[in-house]
Amino acid sequence: MAILETKDLTKIYTLGKNRTVTALNKVSMSVEEGEIFGILGPNGSGKTTCLKLLLGIVFPTDGSITIMGKDQYSVDIKKNIGFLPENPYYYDYLTGPEILKFYGRLFEMPDSLIAKRTDELLELVNLQDARNLSLKHYSKGMLERIGLAASLVNDPRILILDEPTTGLDPIGCKETRDLLIRLNKAGKTVLLSSHFLSEVERVCSRIVIFHKGNLLTTGTLRNLLEEYQAENLEDLFVKAIEKFDRETGSIDKGVE
Amino acid sequence: MKKSWIIAMNTFNESLRKKTFYILLVVALVVIGASRFFSFLAVEDELKMIKDVSFSTIEFFGALIAIFTALAAVSTEMEKRTIYTLLSKPITRNNFIIGKLIGQSLIILLNVILMSIFFVALLLIKKSPPDLQTFKTIFLIYLSLVLMGSITLAVATFATDAFNLIFSFFLYIVGHLITYGKALLERTENVVLKGLGEMLYTIIPNYENFNIKDKIVVGVDVTWKYIGQTTLYGIIYITIAILIGIHFFNKREV
Repeated sequence: MAILETKDLTKIYTLGKNRTVTALNKVSMSVEEGEIFGILGPNGSGKTTCLKLLLGIVFPTDGSITIMGKDQYSVDIKKNIGFLPENPYYYDYLTGPEILKFYGRLFEMPDSLIAKRTDELLELVNLQDARNLSLKHYSKGMLERIGLAASLVNDPRILILDEPTTGLDPIGCKETRDLLIRLNKAGKTVLLSSHFLSEVERVCSRIVIFHKGNLLTTGTLRNLLEEYQAENLEDLFVKAIEKFDRETGSIDKGVE
Repeated sequence: MKKSWIIAMNTFNESLRKKTFYILLVVALVVIGASRFFSFLAVEDELKMIKDVSFSTIEFFGALIAIFTALAAVSTEMEKRTIYTLLSKPITRNNFIIGKLIGQSLIILLNVILMSIFFVALLLIKKSPPDLQTFKTIFLIYLSLVLMGSITLAVATFATDAFNLIFSFFLYIVGHLITYGKALLERTENVVLKGLGEMLYTIIPNYENFNIKDKIVVGVDVTWKYIGQTTLYGIIYITIAILIGIHFFNKREV
């Protein structure tokens, strides 16, 4: 059953009087409940725009989004979503527990539950020793980890992660991957945007590839490898992009 | 409303941990403290000088706090991208703007209270306890500062910081001079100019309505009726400003 669906989702940014950029072009995709769904694409392919649209941070020019069978802009729907932005920035004067408390309260969680979740989450992301440290003293990797904890504070059904391993060392990357698999086994649907192919290859059950705002292909990795006669995800990624550029003649041209 | 309050407290705490707040507060306290030494420059008595300088200081430094807090309310959230995480939570954009307004109004209130305590202490040292008129003046100053902050917050939802800064100070100055402008317009016979003037007089908040310090300093009593009417006037403009802010922020892509 699809927990999240987009239909002909389009986002056109206006950059001046007569200049527009199509960041997302008629994207239709569906994410099944309980899967780890990977959004792949080079920089500027529309991955982040897609996530921002799903979260109601920017508005679609055309098309529709359905989350859990409802309009995505409903406040109630957001209670079921956890989001980790790319390079997360938080109120740097707050400590880890304070940021979790702030977000937890926005989810209308009682303080006692927030305190319990805070202890669990700090342990989960290995930040118990930094609980009294304000975020301005955090390293990039620590910020990424507290961001992950913040995205889990409400125990969401859907977890949307934008480049969750940026800034993490190899051990941190592995820990994050293992955590995603554990969360998925616990029943959470994970939507993962990344340009780290190996990361996506290891954890995602299905993927979608974006390029220049277009959805090139979607499916399970095995099916796509067969379809594109590719040896691995990297090969598949390159072939899908080359095919699109060849067919549209858009090599070196942005989608406008 | 509860979510707006949570955002308000976060805004309040954020402002409280900024150095700007303390620097402005310390400078303001120094100016208020120094007001008694200005008395030898004036022919008026020392108390009048203390009151005059203190009221003006509370207003001026309060205005700086109001404008800078409101500027930071939207643009800093966007620059630091904290707004992405915030808007992904189950809040409406209305919650965000109302929360920011409450938060900045609280920080302005704290600033006004701290400056007023210092001012009152100075009056007590001079064995001249403040009367009710003094507090009426401070209240209207506070209301004008909240209005100023609301307008800056509303403009921040659709304009750049630089434009907003210039616009807010411009409106503050024009809002103080508008009464004189209206008096001048009454003398003109040009219908178009007169109509335009009337329109501007209606749109631009008249900050002079909140300015009763000149009367209080020379001992003129200001009635409760006037305070009530001016409060209503301020609340109407604050509401309009916030509705404009909400309207634009609901359409804004961050």
